Amino acid sequence: MQLLLVGISHRTAPVELRERIDFQARGLTDALRALAQRGSAREAVVVSTCNRAELYVACDEATATRQDLVRFVSDFNGVASGELTPHVYDVTDLEVARHLFRVAAGLDSLVMGEPQILGQVKDAHTIASDAHTSGPVLNRLFHSSFAVGKRVRTETGLGSGAVSVSYAAVALARKIFGDLSGRSVAVIGAGEMGKLTALHMKSQAVKHVTIVSRTMAHAARTAEAIGGASAAPWEELDNVLAASDIVITATGAAAPILTSAHIEAVMRPRRNRPLFIIDIAMPRDVEAAAGEIEQVFLYNIDDLQATVRENLARRASEVARAETIVNEEVERFGSWFRSRGAIPTVVALRERFEAIRRAELERLDFKLSSLPPEARARVDEITHLIVEKLLLTPTEQLKALDNSEAVSAYTEAMNRLFALTNQPGDEQAERGRQTKGGRVEPFKRPTGGRR
Amino acid sequence: MNLVPLVLYAAALVAYAWHFAQRNPVLGRSATTLLVAAALAHTFVIGMQTMEVGHVPVAGATSAISTFVWLLALSYLYVEMTTDERAMGVFILPLLVALQAIPGFRPGIEDRAPVLQGPLFGVHVSSLLFAYASFALACVIGITYVLLFKEIKAKHLGFFYARLPSLQVLDRMNQRAIVIGWIFLTIGIIVGGIWAAQARGGYGAGDPRVQAMSLEDPKIFVALLCWFVYSFELFAARRIGWGGRRAAYLSAVGFVIVLFNFVPITYFFSKSHNF
Repeated sequence: MQLLLVGISHRTAPVELRERIDFQARGLTDALRALAQRGSAREAVVVSTCNRAELYVACDEATATRQDLVRFVSDFNGVASGELTPHVYDVTDLEVARHLFRVAAGLDSLVMGEPQILGQVKDAHTIASDAHTSGPVLNRLFHSSFAVGKRVRTETGLGSGAVSVSYAAVALARKIFGDLSGRSVAVIGAGEMGKLTALHMKSQAVKHVTIVSRTMAHAARTAEAIGGASAAPWEELDNVLAASDIVITATGAAAPILTSAHIEAVMRPRRNRPLFIIDIAMPRDVEAAAGEIEQVFLYNIDDLQATVRENLARRASEVARAETIVNEEVERFGSWFRSRGAIPTVVALRERFEAIRRAELERLDFKLSSLPPEARARVDEITHLIVEKLLLTPTEQLKALDNSEAVSAYTEAMNRLFALTNQPGDEQAERGRQTKGGRVEPFKRPTGGRR
Repeated sequence: MNLVPLVLYAAALVAYAWHFAQRNPVLGRSATTLLVAAALAHTFVIGMQTMEVGHVPVAGATSAISTFVWLLALSYLYVEMTTDERAMGVFILPLLVALQAIPGFRPGIEDRAPVLQGPLFGVHVSSLLFAYASFALACVIGITYVLLFKEIKAKHLGFFYARLPSLQVLDRMNQRAIVIGWIFLTIGIIVGGIWAAQARGGYGAGDPRVQAMSLEDPKIFVALLCWFVYSFELFAARRIGWGGRRAAYLSAVGFVIVLFNFVPITYFFSKSHNF
């Protein structure tokens, strides 16, 4: 069994192409079913976001499956394969694990360390699980990737710090006021920038948003467009300032509209309640000296951009630690993955033993038929237990093998010693094992005879 | 046995500092566990002393420090568990370790002076110790407030920004600690005055220390000074908008006076409280 990944992402494909390859829009479940019908992959999970479309599969032979997957992507999305091929990347086996772990950790994201991707990976796996296209190998792979995502989040600073100006502003407001739900926001200026910022603040569940503009009609229109905001005329500016906790200035004025002295006067009736001023206007709306006033926190767009840059630099410095975690987890997954090479042998061995047991019981059936049903059940149980006990250590030993040379040497030896010729597909056997709790098809036993 | 709490407090200090630097949740939980263990060991030591001498060991200066450390550790644990904030631990633990070193290395069996008796004496000492523990917390919260405030003002969002709760939360916690401390300080001072008046006329009439209990004694004078500082802070925060950074500075100043009164004045200057 091999692992294979075929995909395109923001690293290899332009946005025009990524838009056209969107499994999400066409239905992930349909995509998974269509993929399963082709029969080239035993297990499949499709991860599809606006930045990537990736097929994770477990298959028998990677080279052939790779071609089929590219053809599938092109067929399913109606994109000519010649157009697609130059942008497609593919990796196999442990490199698949490394890639998925880096994706889940946010190391492969457009914005380093962004948190949404882990949820998207989880969703992709859930959908594949529900569609029954994910199996033991991919289940293990994806669960390991969730663990990587969680470890990177808690053990490194890769996801910490806001990396966009609007989130930086909200994070700052949180650091000053704690909970924002009881806070009032004033937006000065009814232009597009002011409106966008007001909408962003509104989404943070603040108590109240007031728009102030030199033209009352503009303010009213913007307030209406936002919904749930109110408008105030310019003459009310001082009262609005005194009642607000967060003030966003975004006018097109050529000179500052709020001087330091003006704000100092506003602060007096506020009894020094903190005031957070975000000046996103260019040129500035607020005199820089206002930032010196006690309990006034003044940030302009450059300051916010500077904190964003700092946060990005801090994230970049955490990459090495995150990569170390990824390597550790790839190593761990690798030893599990290699140990799976022995599973067909284990299954064949168990089936062989069980076949012998059943054959013997059938051979002795005429002698046992005189026994009462309870005794027959006991015989069945005892023979079953003997087989289980005999197989316990060899099974454990085979499953603990974690390099392919040892696996093939042991397989060879087992085949010879126990004449294991017809090996069934491990996929089927694995399913069988899962449903019957490790037991092979039991000898017919009368019910109710067990004590 | 006396050293066990000290060693555990020191271990908790290391864990809190490490947690503060690394922000690893496992380290944080181990830090709390160590502090809980230290507080339990300390409870045991104080309990043993209580059984040994027949009363809670608060009458001597050294044992009062030990009891204060114990109360502060418990108050801090209460704050940590109710707010789920561990960042303050790294600031409070050095104080615990430094103060606990005194009873740790100078255990000295407490022998209570015969004049120190009556229920009022117990109320006096325990409410003051509790007040001091609250002020210690307020001071530490105030220091963290100022550190965070400076980072935000300077527009350099770094170390403390990533680790401390919001300014608003710190300010509220600081105010709450001051209010609780102020109430107990007031009770402690009033009850102390009543006790001294009773003792002077009765069982303490012959003791020079009881006679020295007046405003001229440095210990009593500084305690009243504390009361004025904290009363002013409460008034200023409510009436003239001296919240935030000014309140934080005032709570630091107040606690420096408390600490000064608690250790050097008791040991070296006071004529009335050197039991």
